Amino acid sequence: MRFEAPGEREAGERAWAVVRRAYAEREPVAWPRRHARPLIAGALVAAAVAAALSPPGRSVVRELRESVGIEHAQPALFSLPAPGQLLVTSRQGAWLVQPDGSKRLLGRYRDASFSPFGRFVVATRANELVALDTKGEVRWTLARPTPRSPVWTGTRTDTRIDYLSAGQRRRVAGDGTGDHAVGPATVRGRPLRPGGPRIRVRRGQSEVLVGGRVVFRGTGVFDQAVRSPDKRWVLVSWPTANQWVFVRLQPRKIVGVARIAQQFGRDARVTGWCCA
Amino acid sequence: MARDPQAAARRDERAWVRRAQAGSASDFEALFRAHWGPAYRAAYLVVRDAAAAEDIAQEGFIAAVRALDRFDRRRPFGPWLHRIVVNRAIDWARARALRPEAEEVDAAAPERPERDDELLAELERLSPEHRAVIVLRYLLEYTPGEIAELLELPRGTVNSRLRRGLDSLKERLE
Repeated sequence: MRFEAPGEREAGERAWAVVRRAYAEREPVAWPRRHARPLIAGALVAAAVAAALSPPGRSVVRELRESVGIEHAQPALFSLPAPGQLLVTSRQGAWLVQPDGSKRLLGRYRDASFSPFGRFVVATRANELVALDTKGEVRWTLARPTPRSPVWTGTRTDTRIDYLSAGQRRRVAGDGTGDHAVGPATVRGRPLRPGGPRIRVRRGQSEVLVGGRVVFRGTGVFDQAVRSPDKRWVLVSWPTANQWVFVRLQPRKIVGVARIAQQFGRDARVTGWCCA
Repeated sequence: MARDPQAAARRDERAWVRRAQAGSASDFEALFRAHWGPAYRAAYLVVRDAAAAEDIAQEGFIAAVRALDRFDRRRPFGPWLHRIVVNRAIDWARARALRPEAEEVDAAAPERPERDDELLAELERLSPEHRAVIVLRYLLEYTPGEIAELLELPRGTVNSRLRRGLDSLKERLE
């Protein structure tokens, strides 16, 4: 059977860009590294003990902890601990992460948001609002000046996208029709959901609270706390440690993922964890 | 002395895998370039959706990256990759069969038209399981025994799926 599938070459180039990055980010287990690990670990322990012995050392230890985050963090996001897909934006664009940890760069988009059932994504670029499917295929576009903060809401049969553009709050139907202004662009924080996770800083430490109870605490800055679709996990984004920490609430479990900037690009933010 | 091209290709592949394991990006690229086409085509013929095929083949390679350090270099890379890709493609096609397209109500734009011909159209009418064995046999040129191993099926099941798939195609094309 002789056959060439449509778009084979272009698809190959797109896939190669993603696969090459995955290859570059992998941590090969080579013999010299296996031998080097105990030496490096020993040197780190010695340095930490030496630092802790002197009073100025305490601040050194603190800084070290801030930059290291939790111990035993995985070097890459191998899988999501809960069902659903993650939508992430960074300086590289919008990424979709599957439950098995595989990720796909949807394109060079700035903001992004899932549709109510997670089957589509609305994203923005310089002068366009773009609706995509979860494979990155563009379904429709709408040319508007500097669109931002899109939020896709609604029911299975009637969805709408609210976004800001040129000083206006605008609304368009989920199929890209009926775009109109609904008022001035007032910047409002998203309302807190009852029982949803929130972040506070107390006695020099950042804390994540769920239902008024501290579920995770660390030094440095927490940027986001996002609940999984099944409500059992909270993803804590910890940019000063370059980590994401997945916290299972009951029974408690912590899974750390390191090198977030290397995996997704700088300023990575989770914009959705959707739909098991 | 005549050079066996298949043996040479296997040697090349083993060398690419060995050097890719040691961190050579150019050898990993050679591995990717050699296997992208067959993997993508196989996925496409099973799912008949270019975007899904791209996704499935890409995920196959990402899985290969993750398992690269554990990969046994004495074994050929192609069957291992095709096993991941074809199994994922079957899963995807089964899931789509259970999910009518009419449910896609979040956006209204239609799917883009794709190139087609009579044989491919008829292939699409077969079940994903029958499509997969035909693609593995006649596109990727695996033997029934190898297909049985790849898909973890009894050899008799592979033979009967091949027979039924071919009979069905023949009937429709006549």
